[in-house]
Amino acid sequence: MNSLLSINGLTVAVGPKILVDRVSFDVPQGKIVAVAGGSGSGKTTIGLSILRLLPTPLSVTQGSIIFEGRHLLDVPVREMQNCRGARIGMVFQEPLSAFDPLFTIGQQIDEVLAAHTELSKRERYKKVLETLLEVELPDPQRAYKSYPHQLSGGMRQRAMVAQAIVCGPSLIIADEPTSSLDVTLQVKIMELLGRLKKKDMSILLIAHDLGMISRVADEVIILCQGEIVEKGPVGQVMDRPQHGYTRELVMSAK
Amino acid sequence: MEKKIKPRGRISLAFASLRRNRFSMLCLWALSVLYGLAICADFVCPYGYQDEDRDFSYCPPTAIEFLDHGKLVRPFIYGRTLTFDAVHRRVYVNDYRQKYSLHFLTGGRLFGVDPPSRFYIWGADARGRDLFSRIWYGARISLSIGLLGVIISFVLGLLIGGIAGYYGGWVDNILMRLCEMFMMVPGFYLMLALRAAVPENFNSVQVYVSVVVILALIGWASLARIIRGMALSLRERDFVLVAKTLGVPDIIIIIKHILPQTISFSCATLMLTVSSYILAEAGLSMVGLGIQDPVPSWGNLLSDAMEIVPVIFAPWILLPGLFIFIAVMCFNVIGDALRDAFDPMFREGI
Repeated sequence: MNSLLSINGLTVAVGPKILVDRVSFDVPQGKIVAVAGGSGSGKTTIGLSILRLLPTPLSVTQGSIIFEGRHLLDVPVREMQNCRGARIGMVFQEPLSAFDPLFTIGQQIDEVLAAHTELSKRERYKKVLETLLEVELPDPQRAYKSYPHQLSGGMRQRAMVAQAIVCGPSLIIADEPTSSLDVTLQVKIMELLGRLKKKDMSILLIAHDLGMISRVADEVIILCQGEIVEKGPVGQVMDRPQHGYTRELVMSAK
Repeated sequence: MEKKIKPRGRISLAFASLRRNRFSMLCLWALSVLYGLAICADFVCPYGYQDEDRDFSYCPPTAIEFLDHGKLVRPFIYGRTLTFDAVHRRVYVNDYRQKYSLHFLTGGRLFGVDPPSRFYIWGADARGRDLFSRIWYGARISLSIGLLGVIISFVLGLLIGGIAGYYGGWVDNILMRLCEMFMMVPGFYLMLALRAAVPENFNSVQVYVSVVVILALIGWASLARIIRGMALSLRERDFVLVAKTLGVPDIIIIIKHILPQTISFSCATLMLTVSSYILAEAGLSMVGLGIQDPVPSWGNLLSDAMEIVPVIFAPWILLPGLFIFIAVMCFNVIGDALRDAFDPMFREGI
């Protein structure tokens, strides 16, 4: 199997307390892998440790993360910096606080492009507009000039997806991308992620709502208290949950 | 009819609020006049700052006459002769036979009189130099030195505070201990110590630059500490994490996402710091450690007024103090108004 990201025995701890315990899974090229679990199960921690941006007291104590053939935990800081945003994009839960209130949406997307490419200002502007169109924002020119508070929640979330994909990364980590949106918007954003998959981007979807996950994901990993309790193709996990915790999650999603 | 609401940035909102504050607008105008006169000193002043005539030592302000034998004529001044009274004090007596008419826009100056007479609007100093001219030439130095010093110490303070707060840990530790070393010494003594480190044989430009640097070195530390505190909290904001996950370099995050959030505080502090630097320069020059005679600054103009006798006989030499007062007060009022203007709680009806 051609896997883009493979995590082996990842363990994250803060002091003696283990937050993520020997987690291993693969994200194959062009697939959506979902990590599901309740609050505090370590989903977000996995996402941040891939980017090596764990908050200070937390640290990876064991395991390896291999992305595009490189051991991410060992590469120099500079290379990691080039990887973030360019090869791996991240989408967050709360799109209002995720944008700097002092700059327009366009400027903030442009900033990512400026950090990773040598494009001229004009080329970047064109690229940002293209990306805004790609995430189906109705009026890209206006969105470019809007401040975060001037857009609706759904539009902001789309803008954040645009920010994550503007450099054409091969992996997107989407951390609860729909939790702050209403139900109809949740479906729309999920559909958007589904379309990105068709463009050969892999997505690591971090979420708690199995109902939403089952719409788009190919595989699902159920995490409970930092340990993987079950993993497999979405249909299989949803239809025949093996573990008690998974059954609870499936029940609540139906 | 649908009215289109144009979004306004908070800087434009703050200025709208400032504009409604009459007193601070008055101060803004007063400052513009001071700066305008300082810039145009070559044109406005009748004499150069070194232009002296010892025959007119401590000559009082000259009266301008408009009436000659009851007839309205073009403004002129009478010649004066120096006499001494019973206790050997200088007294200038008008010589009604000599009349010198004022002429305007000759020789690249706004106004003046023909030699050998001299025209002193605000009186003369001990060496017969025109105080009016020296005040505006001095304004060039006194008003610019504060601004330059503030710019340097703000660049230093913002960057160092931003870096310390953003990285935290040992970087923070080292930078903050450095700050404390500067804050530990009382400001005026630090100034004296730094001035002592500057060679004696500097020319006036070098002295000017060194005073700017000294002022900048005093002020940056306290600013850096406050900015560091703000950066410590700002770095936890989501958009900073997002910028990190997207690979935006740290220095750009600090400059673009952390420091601009402190603008309301920085703007107000900037104004208040300018005024304290103007005072500091005046203090340094007054005790003879700053700008050196013959180059005038408001501080060293006042050093003539440090003894009581000249002040009694020629009270006009205190005038530079009035301008220090006006400039400092204007900067303070504007600083306070800016702080309120940036605070949405104080903003009404915009």
